[in-house]
Parts: sequence; structure tokens; C-alpha cells
Amino acid sequence: MTIKVLGPGCMNCKTLERRTVEVLAELNLKADVQKVEDLDSIVGYGVMRTPGLVIDDKVVWQGGVPTKEKIKELLESVPAGRTAS
Amino acid sequence: MREWVKLLILVAVFLAFYLVPIDVAVVTASISAGLILLQEYARLHVLTCLVPAFFIAGTIAVYVKKDAVMKLLGPTTKKYIAYPVGSVSGGILAVCSCTILPLFTGIYKRGAGMGPAVAFLFTGPAINVTAILLTGSVLGWDFAVGRLIAAMVISIIAGLLMSFVFREHDRKTTDNGFATGLESDVPYSNLTVAFFFILQLAVLVIFGLAIDPSLKAILVILLVLIIAGIVIFTFRKEHTMEWFRETWNLTKKIMPYLFVGVFIAGTIETLIPREVITRLVGENSLPANAVASTFGAFMYFATLTEVPIVQKLIGLGMGRGPALTLFLTGNALSLPSMIVLFKVMGKKQASVYILTIMSLSVIAGWLFGEVA
Repeated sequence: MTIKVLGPGCMNCKTLERRTVEVLAELNLKADVQKVEDLDSIVGYGVMRTPGLVIDDKVVWQGGVPTKEKIKELLESVPAGRTAS
Repeated sequence: MREWVKLLILVAVFLAFYLVPIDVAVVTASISAGLILLQEYARLHVLTCLVPAFFIAGTIAVYVKKDAVMKLLGPTTKKYIAYPVGSVSGGILAVCSCTILPLFTGIYKRGAGMGPAVAFLFTGPAINVTAILLTGSVLGWDFAVGRLIAAMVISIIAGLLMSFVFREHDRKTTDNGFATGLESDVPYSNLTVAFFFILQLAVLVIFGLAIDPSLKAILVILLVLIIAGIVIFTFRKEHTMEWFRETWNLTKKIMPYLFVGVFIAGTIETLIPREVITRLVGENSLPANAVASTFGAFMYFATLTEVPIVQKLIGLGMGRGPALTLFLTGNALSLPSMIVLFKVMGKKQASVYILTIMSLSVIAGWLFGEVA
């Protein structure tokens, strides 16, 4: 799966990116984590309150740093089978 | 930070220490003036104003339901709602300055359009809750309220002007709107959050009251106990941790710059001759306000540092009108932010925006100087 962290590069965006990578490691999931910093692309997802989290091109979170438990939940809500890629 | 930037800074610091004649009277005087002002802030403003203010800002970041506010800036919102909401939402939605541009771009391109977006862009940095509270604590609440109201009124006028001048640029179709309903909001009632917020504000207000110190201590301890009670019994632990994290992040980001800013503000007292200030911005005339407006527009002030600078400039004889003008443009505009604006809005729109803000600030400052 592809995970995108949306944010122009402030402290919260970095925290979200770090937590996401940590949760992926804990869950033993493989994913391509990208950081999107371009404003137009961020807004293109309909995300205004950064940071935002996009899993497989679907916005699952915006406007704050979710807890690690919440990130786990978000990752697990992605339909099985798609996580295999 | 790029490596060569670090090197440049290091070289500059080295050259300063190498070349500055420390034992010359004017240099020693300015250094000690800087230290005296630092002590004044440490003793009078850090514990009683800044610490509560950072917690309040953390509360806004974590507990205030922002999806509800965002809906009011959506593409279908009536203009007479979107403008006022745009002008006040800066204080709620954008606690961190780096969230302002994505919000601006979003409101402009997918939400309520250019006018409300401009209103938001201007007030976002200008009515930051910590800045207003520190202004009140240092310069008096008439200044804090003046700053707040002037910023809100200017933002709406600037928004209306911009959307009128560039009416053909404002897109008419309402495409997909915002991503909302992602349950990133906290599950507490508005009443609980408002109560929690007011309690913290009360701590700050009581610190500022001129009452018997032991009564003050009792009241503050009582309030802190109630706040702790809410945190322990009502709020979930994960949200409390987020609250602490946000508060700490803000503190980390702002305090170092603030201390440097306070020191610099202290030194200007001895470095800038009083006559220069009184001649340029001593009276509440339109030219004096224009000087303040231009200076504020180009000068970069790190968050909150505008407060000690203006405080010292007033000490040197700056009029109240120009002081408010400096607050208005100082926060909203700076040379770096202008460059970003040119990139985001385009040359024409950015120029009109900058000139509008600068002239409206002159008028607002002049009015404030006449009235107060």
C-alpha cells in the first residue's frame, strides 16, 4: 500500500510521519511512505488542516497528529488483500 | 536548515564576537539593557502569562472542533457568514503558522472563495491567542483589544476589496469541497471544552489582577485543581497527552526566538537615538503611521517578538497609533512572507493584497491613536 503524509513541513507533519513509520514497523507491514509538501497537491486531496494522512489515495485523517493506536486502526481499516502489495 | 546556512550563521556570530568593541560604553550599556528587559520578562510575564497562554493555545489545537468551523468556510456557505467566520477563525484553526497557507489555498480554491480566504490569511497570524494575551499583559488590555478588533475589521474589508477587484478570478463551480467527517475531532461536548477553556483563561486573568497575593494564590490553586479534575475524570488520557505535546511543541518553537527578540528589543533602547523615533513616529499623523506600516510590512518578527519591540519603541516615544499600525502589518507581512504570497497568489493579486493591508493598517492605527 501507499501512504502519503500531507504537510508543508512543520513539526506536526514530521511527528505524524515518524509515528506512521513506527506503527508500520510494529505491525510488520510494508508500505511506501511518501511525504507530500506541495500545497496544491495537499489541497487537491481536500486537506486543509495539515497534517493529513492518505492511504491508497483515500484521505483517512487530517487536522492533527493521531495517536499510534489510531494510526493502527486506520491502517487496519484498509481492506485486506490490498495491504499485501 | 541547510548546512551552508549554519556555517554562515556561525561565521557571523564569530565575526560579531571578534569585531565588536565590547568595552565601549554604548555596547556595554545596550547589552545590560537587553539583559534587564530579559529579566523583566522572566519575572513578570513568563509564569503568569506565557505558560498559561501556551496551555490555552494547546487546548485550542487539541480540543476545539475544527471540522465544524471548516464547514462554515465551505463553498456553499453564504458570504455574510463566511466573511466573519474567516476573520475570526485564524485564532482557532491556525495555532501554528505553517498551517495558514494550506488553509488559505484550500478556502480560496475549494471553499468560500477569495474574500473569506483573504480575511483568514490576514487574521491567521494577527489574532493568534498567545500574541493577544502577551500584548495585554505587557502593554495593557486596550492595546490587546484594539489589535484584535482592528485585525478583524481590516481582514473583512481587505477580503471584500480583493474579491471585488479580482471578481473574474473567483471560480464559480463548487467542485468536491473539503474532506470532512474524518473523526479527527474529540468526542467531548462543546460545553465541557468551553468550560475547560474559560478556566484556563481565568487563571491568566487572576494572575493579572491587583489583589491580595495570598487570595490570588488560593484562587489560582483552586482553578488549577478544577482543571486537573477535568483532565483526570473527563478527558481521555490520549487526548491529555496530545494537549501536553501541543503545548510543549509551541513552547519549544516560540520561547527561544522570544528570548532573543526580548534581548534585541532591550538593546535598541540605547542604540537608536530617541529623537529619531519621536521625529519619525512620535505623533499620530498619517505619515507617522505610514512609516510604521512600511517598517512592519518588510520587517520579519518571529511570533510574539513584536511585543517587546513595540514596548521599547513606545518607551522611546513612539505614538500609540503608529504602535498599533506596527502590530497590524508586523505580524501579517514580512519580506519572506511577501515572497511566498507572490508565489501562491500571483504578482498582481499579491501586490494588491499587500498594498491594501498596508493602507488599511495606517487608517486603523490612526483611528486608534485618535480615540485611545
